[in-house]
Amino acid sequence: MIALRMSGLFAAAFAIAYTVAFEGHYELFSYHPKLGAFGWGQEAMRDGPVMHWYGAIATGALVGAAACALAWPLRRRLAPPIWLGWAVPLACVGAWGWLLRGFFLR
Amino acid sequence: MTTSLLILHGLLATALLGGLTHQTAALLWPARGGDGFLDAYRSVKAARFTRVNAALYVIVFALGAAIYPAYRIGVRTWIERARLWDISGLFELKEQTLAIGLALLPFFWLVWRDPKERETRLARLVVTALLCAIVWYAFIAGHIVNNVRGLFGQ
Repeated sequence: MIALRMSGLFAAAFAIAYTVAFEGHYELFSYHPKLGAFGWGQEAMRDGPVMHWYGAIATGALVGAAACALAWPLRRRLAPPIWLGWAVPLACVGAWGWLLRGFFLR
Repeated sequence: MTTSLLILHGLLATALLGGLTHQTAALLWPARGGDGFLDAYRSVKAARFTRVNAALYVIVFALGAAIYPAYRIGVRTWIERARLWDISGLFELKEQTLAIGLALLPFFWLVWRDPKERETRLARLVVTALLCAIVWYAFIAGHIVNNVRGLFGQ
């Protein structure tokens, strides 16, 4: 059951960190597809478009893993609740619908 | 190469869509013993789909991530130049929800380890339905974006 609770914590931390990283420009790295080049953090366009999606996923995974590592010593006394694993990702999916509404309301 | 990967991506996405819809239907709307088509559709053992659905999600996601640069250079630039903002938004929402879905997979796997466990029943219901909704949305949005020049190119 502890693996289940930790995986729920990972999903929740990932969803929040990914959303914040994308919206706040905290991506771990950027990718320039035309050049085939990577750069640390959020870089501006060089020659052609720049992609931040891979970097935002990396940020989410890193924060999710860190949250699990921090919670691991406390797992007996303060086990993460199971609802965290579905309620937070569900809320983040809803938040993305709200954040991207501008695309559909022009 | 990109076209071959795109076709493989689409074919495996169809298998994932079928598998997740079967699993979700069997969970949310279990068969009551009739012998019609819908009863047969819902009477599968939902837990048996978990591993294949999770594996297919990862493979389809990886294929999509591999062909994403070609989309970013060749398709999205065109969509933006054509000012098709709602189509661009469809894809934006697809990439965000799929990334969140990817992080849900370990949780999805573990809530299905014991499908009779009462404590995880609500989590099983929500996470399975959420993944199913994400995959359905991504499938439809992907098709629209894939056909954008044919549908909206005029």
